Amino acid sequence: MKNSLKVERAIKDITQEELAKIIGVSRQAINSIELGKYVPSTILALKLSRYFEKSVNDIFKLEQTD
Amino acid sequence: METRFLLPNKFKLIGWILLVPSAILGIIQIFYLAGSGLKFLDATTFTIYSGSFAPWGSSSIIFGFDKVNLTGTIIGILFILGSVMVAFAKEKHEDEFIAKIRLESFLWATYINYAILLFSFLFFYGIGFMYVMIFNMFTIIILFIVRFNYILYRSTKQLQYEK
Repeated sequence: MKNSLKVERAIKDITQEELAKIIGVSRQAINSIELGKYVPSTILALKLSRYFEKSVNDIFKLEQTD
Repeated sequence: METRFLLPNKFKLIGWILLVPSAILGIIQIFYLAGSGLKFLDATTFTIYSGSFAPWGSSSIIFGFDKVNLTGTIIGILFILGSVMVAFAKEKHEDEFIAKIRLESFLWATYINYAILLFSFLFFYGIGFMYVMIFNMFTIIILFIVRFNYILYRSTKQLQYEK
């Protein structure tokens, strides 16, 4: 699975730290998601979707290997 | 999803305060005092079973009182309380990502612990194996603490490269 979290963050012009605070997770979590090292739970994905006002499918995309 | 059953964050500091001195005292007691204790900690205490290796021998006490030394007992209790607090206190930002590291570290610690034990079964005998058992009581939680905190540290360090 890949995601466009970093791009979305750049569009909104907020840091990982700020996003983490708004969403209510650790900064490490946001960083690991961006690096593709961690797949967030549905709840976290929906919270990100709500904040960026985009559907989950627009932020997270399945890859061939998934 | 956050992990349930964790202790509040402040227990982490209390845990370290208990863990470090009791670990040092424990090592001193085992290696330099050869398991003997401090005289003023001699006491008569209730025991479920106290005796030698031969079960039900004449010197065994079952559900009775025995004259013992409490040095090891006290050090052990402080170490257990300290290590449990350090291992299971919440992080400042406890979240699902940290819950995942926590769970993985536990699996990892259990594997390594039993790998060490398997190795020790093969190469330690007699009183040597008894020492292995003494240390093995604490290795799983120590391995967990080391691995969990290392991964946390590593993922915090990664943040510095990220804008």
